[in-house]
Amino acid sequence: MNLLTLRSVTKRYTATDPPAVDGVSFECAQGEIVALIGGSGSGKTTLLRVIAGLEIPDTGEVVLNGTTLNSPTRFVPPEKRDCGLVFQDYALFPNKTVSQNIAFGKGAADDPARIGELMEMADISGLEQRYPHEISGGQQQRVALVRALATRPSLLLLDEPLSHLDPELRDSVRTELLKLFRETDTTALFVSHDIEDAMAMADRMVVLRKGAAEQVGTPDEIYDRPANPHVARLFGKTNFIPLGLLPDAPHSIAAETGEGQVVPARPHQWQLVENSNDGSTAFTGKVVSTTNRGAHQEVLLQTENLTLTIHIPGNTTVKPGETLTVSCDLKV
Amino acid sequence: MTAVLLGLFLFLPMAEVLWHLTSPAENWEHLRDTVLGRYLKGSAILVIGTAGLSLLLGVSTAWLVACCEFPGRRFFEWALILPLAIPTYIAAFAYFDLIDRLTPLLIWVRTNISPEAMTWLSDTMVYPVTTVVLAAVLYPYVYLVARAAFSRQGSRYAEAAQTLGHEPQSVFWRVALPLARPAIIGGLALVIMETLNDYGAVKHFGVPTFTTGIFRTWVSMGDLPGALRLAACLMVLILFLLLLEKWLRFGAKFHKTSPSDRPFQRYPLGQAKAGLAILCCLVPLVIGFALPLSRLAYWASLTAGKVLDTTFLKLTLNSIGVATATGLATVMIALFLAFTARYFGSQAAGVTNRLAILGYAVPGAVIAMGVLLVAGQVTQATGWILTGSLAVLVLCYVIRFLAVAWQPIDAGMERNCAQLNQASQTLGATPARSLFHINVPLLRNALVAGGLFVFVDTMKELPLTLILRPAEFETLSTKTYDLVFQSQIPESSVPALCIILVSLLPVIWLNRQMRAPEL
Repeated sequence: MNLLTLRSVTKRYTATDPPAVDGVSFECAQGEIVALIGGSGSGKTTLLRVIAGLEIPDTGEVVLNGTTLNSPTRFVPPEKRDCGLVFQDYALFPNKTVSQNIAFGKGAADDPARIGELMEMADISGLEQRYPHEISGGQQQRVALVRALATRPSLLLLDEPLSHLDPELRDSVRTELLKLFRETDTTALFVSHDIEDAMAMADRMVVLRKGAAEQVGTPDEIYDRPANPHVARLFGKTNFIPLGLLPDAPHSIAAETGEGQVVPARPHQWQLVENSNDGSTAFTGKVVSTTNRGAHQEVLLQTENLTLTIHIPGNTTVKPGETLTVSCDLKV
Repeated sequence: MTAVLLGLFLFLPMAEVLWHLTSPAENWEHLRDTVLGRYLKGSAILVIGTAGLSLLLGVSTAWLVACCEFPGRRFFEWALILPLAIPTYIAAFAYFDLIDRLTPLLIWVRTNISPEAMTWLSDTMVYPVTTVVLAAVLYPYVYLVARAAFSRQGSRYAEAAQTLGHEPQSVFWRVALPLARPAIIGGLALVIMETLNDYGAVKHFGVPTFTTGIFRTWVSMGDLPGALRLAACLMVLILFLLLLEKWLRFGAKFHKTSPSDRPFQRYPLGQAKAGLAILCCLVPLVIGFALPLSRLAYWASLTAGKVLDTTFLKLTLNSIGVATATGLATVMIALFLAFTARYFGSQAAGVTNRLAILGYAVPGAVIAMGVLLVAGQVTQATGWILTGSLAVLVLCYVIRFLAVAWQPIDAGMERNCAQLNQASQTLGATPARSLFHINVPLLRNALVAGGLFVFVDTMKELPLTLILRPAEFETLSTKTYDLVFQSQIPESSVPALCIILVSLLPVIWLNRQMRAPEL
């Protein structure tokens, strides 16, 4: 059974602007970790705040654990909802110690053993008497996380949980978060603008753009079968090859120009080939520029009617003006 | 070095008064045994009552205006500051007949209970009456800082508390109020200092306090050493309160809530609650502003023809002249002190700066006595007679109001100029060049604001002016006072109204400033 169900939720801030959230529907199963992904202005944070009860949607329904939280006739205030929220900037109370912050939630103080356990798991034991400004950003985040979990919410909402962390920390925090979610059997819905975070953590993803859900699916589905060029581009630079040139492609999408179907082919899905006569998937063109990216080189290749971005091994030397022949292998 | 000496010099009068805590005074034992307890008790009751009532009025209205939505909220947002424009003594004069109106009650008590009960009641009821009048014009100090603190908190902490299962009521008591505590205590401290400083209102209502005691001992009994000892006691009390304030604001720096990106989503109030909210905002506004102002305006309309003459013009010019001189002098001294301490990073100058601005906490009457002492010593040493000159009066105002100009200037320097000063230093600029080419232009707003505030405070000031004004020198505030004590209350309304109108200027400015997001 679904823990959380959203049915065509729409939220407008002003009557004239386009809606911040536009008819979004999706579900979230018990124990699942779901990412809401999109750029700035995609409505992902607004959607999270609607679920938390901090924004009131204009239309649509939110059902959590069989209880209707939002409907045309019903609004349950945030304090009555069975969900916790970890704010992007953590929103720790600066005048309360770590343990006071954690014990602040309704019912949190009733079970000191669980708090101790949670703090142990989050690796913040021993910080009980510190104030938020006395601990590091990573520790603050874990305090915020424990504070939210201590109220035993059915659903945990997280707003950009990894955006404040530097790249080295990110990886380990992702692993820690996942471990904590699994150990506490938490259903989590998190907002991110970073596709890598979403890929690494989520069981399922909801891709948002201009307030609307463009695609809902597992990370693999979304990577392999993006619903449109915009979703495809979330994963970085993507070449859109007319379907006619790659007729065997397993997946194609409507071109942004609105004319015909195109096949998304990522830069790493290309190889250099010796000659152009070994099949229809070979493309020949002139090198426009090369950029050294360390492990590989990014080459901009101008063929007869396409501009391709491809990756070639870092040890290969190519110069602008050279002619290259490449082929596409969509299975890698 | 000059700055250190100047700072110390400005602190000297206050130090002199403190010094007299132990100096011999022949009648001291008598004073101590008879009146000291009464003054202490009177001041304490008044301070506690006024502070408590101001806290209640200031915080509740600030919360309503900052965090709830009800009809008229935007009007009350600025209107609730207006009582700040009415000096305590003018508020008391506007309600001059409040006690008389209670006479029937006293008579009823005498005939139906006992004469003793009546005496007790008439001695006791001056406290609630004075407290209400003082709190009605002083609560905006609390209101302003509390409103700023509540809106600066934004929605973040309230939302966090809500998602953790707390209802709006609990959000207020457990999150918003504790976070605003340091700011509120700062505002409360100003209320207390103003209460202790007041002379006109307590004298009018006959409340025995330190200020009335000092004047009585000195002027009526001619006992200068005794009055000095009383002033010294008051200084000790104030230093204690300042320490208490520091201690109660502990952790203020942890409470620096960074501005929230989302403004508070105001709680919409239902019809009944909205009605209560309006009532709650209307009561202090009417008692503290509308009623006294309309009474004064009515009296003024009756007496304006009689009062407005060349003498009145002269004393208005006197007021403006002295206030302008004080404003300019204070701003220049404050700028010099703040700049030298910051530019040279001098610890000693930092300390003497703090000592010099202590005057804001010290009642005008006490500073006046200190200045008189210093002036007397100068006369002894050099033969120059300074007492009774305008220069001494202005100097005394400068000491009393230095903090008013110093604080915005110093804060502005810290915010805007610290790095720039270092930059100009590395570019080889002299300190003077840095001061005039960088600090002064950048701090223009703070300088103007500081000067304006000092100007208005000087216009309003009463006890200090009463003591130190040169013979035959009248200002709007002393004229108001004199007329009231010649029982010409309707006539006094004209100068009183002039003071209120001038005082409205910085109140309006302050309101705009406090609403600005960066403050």
